[in-house]
Amino acid sequence: MRRLALTIAIGLLVGGCLARAADNQSTPPPLKLKVGDVAPDFKLQYFDGTDLKDVTLSQYRGKKNVVLAFYIFAFTGG
Amino acid sequence: MKNFQQNLKKLEAADTQVLGVSMDSPFSNKAFADQIGVTFPLLSDWGGETTRAYGIYMDKYRAARRVNFLIGKDGKILEEQIDKSAIDPTKIVDACQRPPLKN
Repeated sequence: MRRLALTIAIGLLVGGCLARAADNQSTPPPLKLKVGDVAPDFKLQYFDGTDLKDVTLSQYRGKKNVVLAFYIFAFTGG
Repeated sequence: MKNFQQNLKKLEAADTQVLGVSMDSPFSNKAFADQIGVTFPLLSDWGGETTRAYGIYMDKYRAARRVNFLIGKDGKILEEQIDKSAIDPTKIVDACQRPPLKN
């Protein structure tokens, strides 16, 4: 009986550690695009208060650096 | 986004255009920009095509990951910041101010 309890306790401990390890692995997957890769061109719109304006990445080529700041949802922090 | 706004003058002085991107509509992004005092464009990737092209679409949230890319004038990626580390843009602001990028 005692041996059974011990086996179960060890089993739970090992299981917990494995689950935690799997958790850690799944959190930060690396990005597909790496430093040095060409950034894919896009054509997106924003509203300036009057009109919808088109913006492409290629319009800045040779002129400006571009920061693309992706965020999850409007009206959230960060 | 506010953190980029606070650094906007430095970034503009270093020839850098800041663009926010999310999968919200253009109109909710405009309302969001007004609310938090952001003056650079917040682009709407309605449908997520660009978010997917950049490999940062998250099925779980049906939205983009929190990622900043600094793209040089040649169109190549110079810096990346991911998730929590993307909240403080210091690394990107510093990179913009390095001499080669100002030319």
